Amino acid sequence: MDPEDIDVVQPLDRERGISLEDFKLIKMHMSNYITKLAQNVKVRQRVVATAITYMRRVYTRRGLTEFDPRLVAPTCLYLAAKAEESTVQARLLVFYIKKMYPEDIRYRFEIKDILEMEMKILEALNYYLVVFHPYRSLTQFLQDAGMMDLMQFTWGIVNDTYKMDLILIHPPHLIALACIYIASVSKEKDSIAWFEELRVDMNVVKNISMEILDFYDNMMNNIEERINIAFSKLPLRSA
Amino acid sequence: METTVDKFTTRTTSAMEAFEKLEKVGEGTYGKVYRAREKATGKIVALKKTRLHEDDEGVPPTTLREVSLLRMLSRDPHVVRLIDVKQGQNKEGKTVLYLVFEYMDTDLKKYIRSFRNVGQSIPPQTVKSLMYQLCKGVAFCHGHGVIHRDLKPHNLLMDRKTMTLKIADLGLARAIIVPIKKYTHEILTLWYRAPEVLLGTTHYSCGVDMWSVGCIFAELVNNQALFCGDSELQQLLHIFRLLGTPNEQVWPGVTKLKDWHEYPQWSPSDLSSAVPGLDKDGLDLLSKMLIYEPSKRISAKKAMEHPYFDDLDKTHL
Repeated sequence: MDPEDIDVVQPLDRERGISLEDFKLIKMHMSNYITKLAQNVKVRQRVVATAITYMRRVYTRRGLTEFDPRLVAPTCLYLAAKAEESTVQARLLVFYIKKMYPEDIRYRFEIKDILEMEMKILEALNYYLVVFHPYRSLTQFLQDAGMMDLMQFTWGIVNDTYKMDLILIHPPHLIALACIYIASVSKEKDSIAWFEELRVDMNVVKNISMEILDFYDNMMNNIEERINIAFSKLPLRSA
Repeated sequence: METTVDKFTTRTTSAMEAFEKLEKVGEGTYGKVYRAREKATGKIVALKKTRLHEDDEGVPPTTLREVSLLRMLSRDPHVVRLIDVKQGQNKEGKTVLYLVFEYMDTDLKKYIRSFRNVGQSIPPQTVKSLMYQLCKGVAFCHGHGVIHRDLKPHNLLMDRKTMTLKIADLGLARAIIVPIKKYTHEILTLWYRAPEVLLGTTHYSCGVDMWSVGCIFAELVNNQALFCGDSELQQLLHIFRLLGTPNEQVWPGVTKLKDWHEYPQWSPSDLSSAVPGLDKDGLDLLSKMLIYEPSKRISAKKAMEHPYFDDLDKTHL
C-alpha cells in the first residue's frame, strides 16, 4: 500500500479533532494493547503480528469513530488466532480485558460484542486474512549472514515495527533486512559485504531503517500524555 | 454507531436477495451448497452456506482459512473461483455466511463413476489433460505456500463442456510456515492419504498432496481407486503390497515414525500390473509421485515438465 492511502484521517474522525498524529498514536497504543492481551492468553508472536496487521488494515478503510479501537483490537486478536490455527475463546478474551481494565467502562465488552465486530472486520478486510511477516526471512537471513547472535536483538526490532504501519507498506523481507541493518550497525558488525551480495535495493532498506529510527526518536518524548490526549478525542463508547 | 449497524444489516439482507436459490446440490462438512441464479445478471453460481458456530465462537476457523486462502489463490484458472462472500441472516436470525463460487457442473468423482457405470475407460488424452490441469493447480497452491491436505476426486470440480478441472474445498488447507511441523492429524480421506501421514509423521510437506495426485492419476486410468483401505492399517498394507514394504534403505527414517510397527514383508511389484492402461511415460510419472520418501517425490511443477505431457496441447490449459 501507498503511505498516502494509509495516513488518511476519516472525515468523521477529523470532525472530532483527531489529527494524523493522534491517529498514529492510537494505532500504536492499540498495537501495544494487542501485544499485552496476547501475553495473557498466550499466543505466538506470529498471531500478535497478524492481529496488529488486521487492525491497521481496518483503519485504512474505516474510521476510529465508526469502529471503536478498544473493541477492534481484541477482535483482531480473536480473528488472527483463528486464522493462524491457534484459536482463543472469546470468553477468555473478555475475561482478560476485564482483568486489565477492571474499572474502565470504555473497555467493558461482552462476547457478543466481539462476535459482531468480527463480522464487521471481516467485511472491512474483504476476507483477505493471509499475512506474511518478516520473522521467517529474518531467521533465514541471519543464518545466511552468520549473525545468529543478533537474533534476539533483531527480533525485538521487528516486533517494534508493528507499532508503525510498515507491514502495510513494505514487503516483509525488506523489513527484516532493515531490522538486521539497524542491529548490525548498532552492534558494530561488519555486514556491508553480505548486504552487497544480496541484490536488493539498499536504498529501500536504508529508508525503512531511517523510518524505524525516526520512530524510536519520536517515541521518547511524553508519549503517555500524547496518547491520553489522542484518546480523549474519541467518543466515549462507539459500539 | 447504531446507524452503521442498520446500514450494515440492510446491505447484507439485500445482498442475499440478489440470488435466487435453484436447488441444493450438496452438503459439505460445514453447510449446504446451492445452485443459484444471480438475479441481476442471470449468472449461475454455487452458494456455499456456512452456519456459524452455536457455541459462541463466531466464524469457524476452517471457513476463515478456506476463505482467506481462496482470496489469495482463486486467481488461478485451476483453483475454484470465489466470486464473493456475503453475510446474511437465516430464519432464526442467526448470522450465516454465503460463499459465492463460480458454478461447476460436476466433479471428478462423478465423472469417473459415469465411465465406470458403462464399463468404459476415460480416453487417455482426457486423463492427460485432467492430470496436467491438476498438477498446474497444485503447483500454484504450493508456489503460494499452501498445502491442500485433502486432494481427492470429490474435491476436484469439473466443467464437462470445457473439460476444465479446478481444485476446491480448501477447508483443510493451510499456509506453510517454516519449519513445517505439527499439522493437525487425521485430515485426508484414507484412500489418498500419503504413507507418512498414515505412519504419524509430524512433518507435513507438499509431498502429501503429490501422493494424492498420484493416487488420482491411477484412478483416472483404472476407474477404480488405487488403494482402498477401510482402516489406517489396511490402507498401509494396500500400499505396501504394491510398492513393497518400505525400510530404512528406500526411505531413511521410516522406522522412526511414530506409528511404525513391524509389517509383513512384500517386495515391490510392477506398477504396470496395477495400472495396465498406462503407457511408459505415464508409469514413470506415476512412479515418481508414489516415491516413499516424501522429499524425493516429484513436485507439481516438475511433474508438469514430465515427458508424459509432451504431446498435450497446453495452449488452452
